[in-house]
Amino acid sequence: MKKNNGYELTKADFKQINKRSLFGFQMGWNYERMQGSGYLYTILPQLRKIYGDGTPELKEAMKTHNQFFNTSNFFNTIITGIDLAVEGKEGVDSLDTVAGIKTGLMGPFAAIGDSLFAALVPTIMGAIAATMAAQGNPIGLFLWLAVNIAICVFRWKQLHFAYKTGTKLVSEMQGQLNALTDAATLLGVFIVGALIASMINIQVPLVAHLGKVSLSVQSNIDMILPRLVPAAVVGLVYWLLGKKGMTSTKVIFIVIIFAVALSAIGVLGKI
Amino acid sequence: MEFSIVQILLLTAYSMYNIYDELQMNSSLSQPVWAGMISGLIMGDMKTGLVIGAALQLTVLGVGTFGGASKIDANSGTVLATAFSIGTGMKAATAIAAIGVPVAALLTSFDILARFANTYFQHKVDKDIENFNYKGIERHSIMGVLPWTLSRGIPVFLALALGQGVVKTMVTYLNGDLQWLNTGLQTAGATLPAVGFAILLHYLPVKKHIAYLILGFTITALLSTLFTSVQTLGTGLGAANKAFTTTFNSLPMLAIALIGGAFAILEYKRSMAKLNSAPAASSNNSSDDEDEEDEIEDANGEVSGDEEE
Repeated sequence: MKKNNGYELTKADFKQINKRSLFGFQMGWNYERMQGSGYLYTILPQLRKIYGDGTPELKEAMKTHNQFFNTSNFFNTIITGIDLAVEGKEGVDSLDTVAGIKTGLMGPFAAIGDSLFAALVPTIMGAIAATMAAQGNPIGLFLWLAVNIAICVFRWKQLHFAYKTGTKLVSEMQGQLNALTDAATLLGVFIVGALIASMINIQVPLVAHLGKVSLSVQSNIDMILPRLVPAAVVGLVYWLLGKKGMTSTKVIFIVIIFAVALSAIGVLGKI
Repeated sequence: MEFSIVQILLLTAYSMYNIYDELQMNSSLSQPVWAGMISGLIMGDMKTGLVIGAALQLTVLGVGTFGGASKIDANSGTVLATAFSIGTGMKAATAIAAIGVPVAALLTSFDILARFANTYFQHKVDKDIENFNYKGIERHSIMGVLPWTLSRGIPVFLALALGQGVVKTMVTYLNGDLQWLNTGLQTAGATLPAVGFAILLHYLPVKKHIAYLILGFTITALLSTLFTSVQTLGTGLGAANKAFTTTFNSLPMLAIALIGGAFAILEYKRSMAKLNSAPAASSNNSSDDEDEEDEIEDANGEVSGDEEE
């Protein structure tokens, strides 16, 4: 049986882990253990180097890394880096610690990763790409592609960084990440405000006839505040989404039904 | 216009790649706007694709994949809406609500199916571990690619291969007796982005940043009214007098994003100043810290990277 006296990851190791993470990490996603098998797949060659093929230690490590795991696929290699830094130094004795680190970190990183990369980047870049695309201009799409390729580079680099810094990383970065998330959400909220004012192209085509005077409802609304109708609709939908048992899909269909009905009686129309 | 075999196969292949990209690289090629443009190109009408993709993109703005939940599949919805809109002459604005959204909702169940199917491979991996079958572990872990891609490929292929007749009948009715429904669906398509924005507001800390919501809305409402009025004026003048050739563009969204970006930078600096004034941060300034700073700047550059372009 091979006694473990420390294994340092090489450049080739980093490359291999990154490749597997970027191209295969979530393929095994399943309801039972989510990214469980994906995590093991990503670091399997390195585990074999740390513990040696065919050893009971390797089997124990493989089992540990095949358990339930789910985090942001933008930050998963940060956890991998910290994990391998600990495991490479202390071997099989560290497996309990490592399992703890993994469970402890996957929640926070899922939250930060989702708010930055699943919500904010698609909101900001999606808004820019979609407003341009609505006029038939594809430039915004390429802008988005460029930004996401830059993010991929960042994902590629974080593994080495996390491996070097180890467990210290999380506590030290916490404050900066919070500041960053705060600023990013501010931008997100601002953009949503701008989108409400520019991308919901509906109006009230109703014209009231009072004797000889005909009164356009929309131009009266515009005098109060332009784009008041879209703002009111967003407010209504926001309220609807807060109701119990409401899902986004249900709300989408409710909006379709109401829009068709209101359009049929002439209260709502496309600009 | 009938779909050719090549078009059907290309659209199917793209929708299979869609889910793979979304799960792995996340290059943005798996976003509805891109789905619209690519299927538009395959069908020979990029502009229709872009318009449909843009509308569905805005509808699902706030619907991320949080904690591995299945989300409405706007990509496949865009692919089919674009293909059928161009293929059968249905108006793009109608296709969004009539095809895009129902398809997107329907395909959620295929997503769930794929996630279930992968449990089978997870158990294969368990067995491989017992047998030290390293190749098996790797194979069974990435074989999940099959349920994933087929969950999009099969329904998109079937819809394209068999759906044309149904959609054509639909178009005939929508342009005839059911004109009111046609108009209604277009209005619905125009209203749908409101859902995307409202979902986002639920997810973002809107109470904390309410001032910026108001700023973003008001600045844009005023400026877009102004820009639109000037454009209308310009078009009118051009029509009245041929010598007037100046054209006015519409309000550029990038400029609005820049204003927001400036507010975000101010907020970031404010939070960091608060952090640095705390006693703990000032103690050790090793080289590690410098590295950290770089990474953070990287991340910052990407989140608000749109400003520099």
